[in-house]
Amino acid sequence: MHEASLALSILDTVTRKCSEGGYQIVESIHLRIGRASGVLPEALLFAFNVLKADSIACSSKLIIEHVPVGGTCNCCGETFHTDEYYVIKCPWCGAAELSVTNGFEMDIVEMEVS
Amino acid sequence: MKVKVVSSILEANQRIAAQNRRLFDDAKVFVINLMGAPGAGKTSVLVNTLNLIKNKAKIGVIEGDIAGTHDAELVRETGVPVVQINTNGACHLDANMINAVLNEDFPLKGLDFLIIENVGNLVCPAEFDVGEHMKVMVLSLTEGDDKPLKYPLMFRESRALIINKMDLLPHLDVDVEKIRHDAISINRELETFALSCKTQSGFDYWIKWLTGLK
Repeated sequence: MHEASLALSILDTVTRKCSEGGYQIVESIHLRIGRASGVLPEALLFAFNVLKADSIACSSKLIIEHVPVGGTCNCCGETFHTDEYYVIKCPWCGAAELSVTNGFEMDIVEMEVS
Repeated sequence: MKVKVVSSILEANQRIAAQNRRLFDDAKVFVINLMGAPGAGKTSVLVNTLNLIKNKAKIGVIEGDIAGTHDAELVRETGVPVVQINTNGACHLDANMINAVLNEDFPLKGLDFLIIENVGNLVCPAEFDVGEHMKVMVLSLTEGDDKPLKYPLMFRESRALIINKMDLLPHLDVDVEKIRHDAISINRELETFALSCKTQSGFDYWIKWLTGLK
């Protein structure tokens, strides 16, 4: 989902944080990407590696932590998680009464700088 | 050394969406982001809605399309103030596009409702907050009854689902109750409306609910 645009957003945020903190080099950027976020990690990595060229993050590595889709079933009370894009029915009892609380993340967690 | 960032990748859009929402709240305008696939009937639902409520409430419209002013011209015929955004290729509106319109003297003050008709698309508009108070989606019967399970995020993010083109039901193999059931399975808070722009059936309930929001 618009991974090139997302890569540019990541670079903007990182560049701004480096300017604020006086950092010279970005070595890595740690992201948390949920499986239901619509972001394709491979496409994001590809776009990032192309677009980082003229930025402070030109030699940085993107580290993507995948967050499974998860939550609680409001019927049986069990928690669930899956690497599928979305969950409609509880894998335990089959009810379609879920509170899906995880899996939508699109976060920049931290960066390693010098 | 490690530096905490703790920021959404969409932070720039979210920041501008929050700015837009503050402008809307200051002006006491209730804002709806109207979404749906191309041809679902977003503009027809919008124009019919405008004609039914324009004497009871002050409304403004922002139209979003990749190109052209077709939809804005249809809205203009209702007498409701409208601005057309052409995204020139982008498949959804974002907060920055709406912010640019608001900064060009869009007549927000005095409005009860602002309806933003998004670009026709069942995927990306659900991902982008433009500052609205509510997302409403239009799904037409001709799209089939399998769309909620195929496009869950759109249904999850919407507060209301308008099932349109009900007049065509006798000619289609579509299960309306399956659409409702699957959509509500994804989003238990989803309010559903079944209507026809052709026959005007179902509009009374939709208009009553809509005007009750403010």
